[in-house]
Amino acid sequence: MWPRVVEVMIGAWLVITPLVFRGTEDLDRYAVNAVVSGAIVITASLMAFWRRTAWMRFVTLAVSCWLAGHGYLSAVRPGPPAAQHEIMVGLLLLLFAILPNDINGVNRPPSTAPAPRS
Amino acid sequence: MAEGTKKPADAAPPWDYNPSSWSQRLPICVLAMVAFVISAWMGLYQWRLVDAVWDPFFGDQTMRVLDSDVSHRMQRWFGVPDASLGAIAYLGDAVFGLAGSTSRWRARPWLVVLFGIDVIPLGGVSAVLVIVQATVLGEWCFLCLVTAVISLVLVYWAYDEVWSSIVYLRRVWQRTGSAGAVWTVFRGGYHAEAAAAAEGR
Repeated sequence: MWPRVVEVMIGAWLVITPLVFRGTEDLDRYAVNAVVSGAIVITASLMAFWRRTAWMRFVTLAVSCWLAGHGYLSAVRPGPPAAQHEIMVGLLLLLFAILPNDINGVNRPPSTAPAPRS
Repeated sequence: MAEGTKKPADAAPPWDYNPSSWSQRLPICVLAMVAFVISAWMGLYQWRLVDAVWDPFFGDQTMRVLDSDVSHRMQRWFGVPDASLGAIAYLGDAVFGLAGSTSRWRARPWLVVLFGIDVIPLGGVSAVLVIVQATVLGEWCFLCLVTAVISLVLVYWAYDEVWSSIVYLRRVWQRTGSAGAVWTVFRGGYHAEAAAAAEGR
């Protein structure tokens, strides 16, 4: 579950991004995107803890791609600080979003057949 | 990373040790984190969030390399400073190194292959950047050289696990002749024929 915990922290960072980057060039164009993306990431990562909504990590994966893509394409490169921040956070989020919940669980060895139904 | 002569039960062919064991993976993660810190520092300099970068041998040459036209051109390509992109890649090495159990070479080949895709090309890129320093710029960056050496060590330490996964997938293919079976095993699913391949039956 540790990837989900890290994602929640990254989501919280995104939510406070407009405060951190206050006064930088073109922040208005990126502030809403950062806050909304952060809120989605926090929600999706927390919901992914529940087995039935574990698929929500793919929402986080989509948001990470969106952030990196938006930061890359939304301005003439190198973009303003907020755009470069989007690229960096998008890539950072991608590292964790790609990992499933039980990533460090002891995998059933491939040589062990599933238990027969009784 | 080669190890002693006694072959443990969880050895991964073609090796006589388990390249997915923690003793094999943790050094990779620690070294990757060292490279991450160095790259992040250089990235912070390129963003001008720190004033200078330490270099005990080449003086201002490190900062001239980081401020060179080549570096600025790469920033236009990538959208962010090249050193910060390197930092993300090294962090990825550490994260993907920590993820997965000690049987991941056969239980999650996708993760090992992803780990290899992050580690191995990065070593090549670092080597190319060092060659660029010497041939195009004519100046040297000490911390870039350190990260390049770390990258090559990481490649040397990581390739055995990646190779084990590839060998395992090849054995599944040879035994089953089915792309579907290889895909099932690659993504960490159970397949009876693959189980036999894993045990060398």
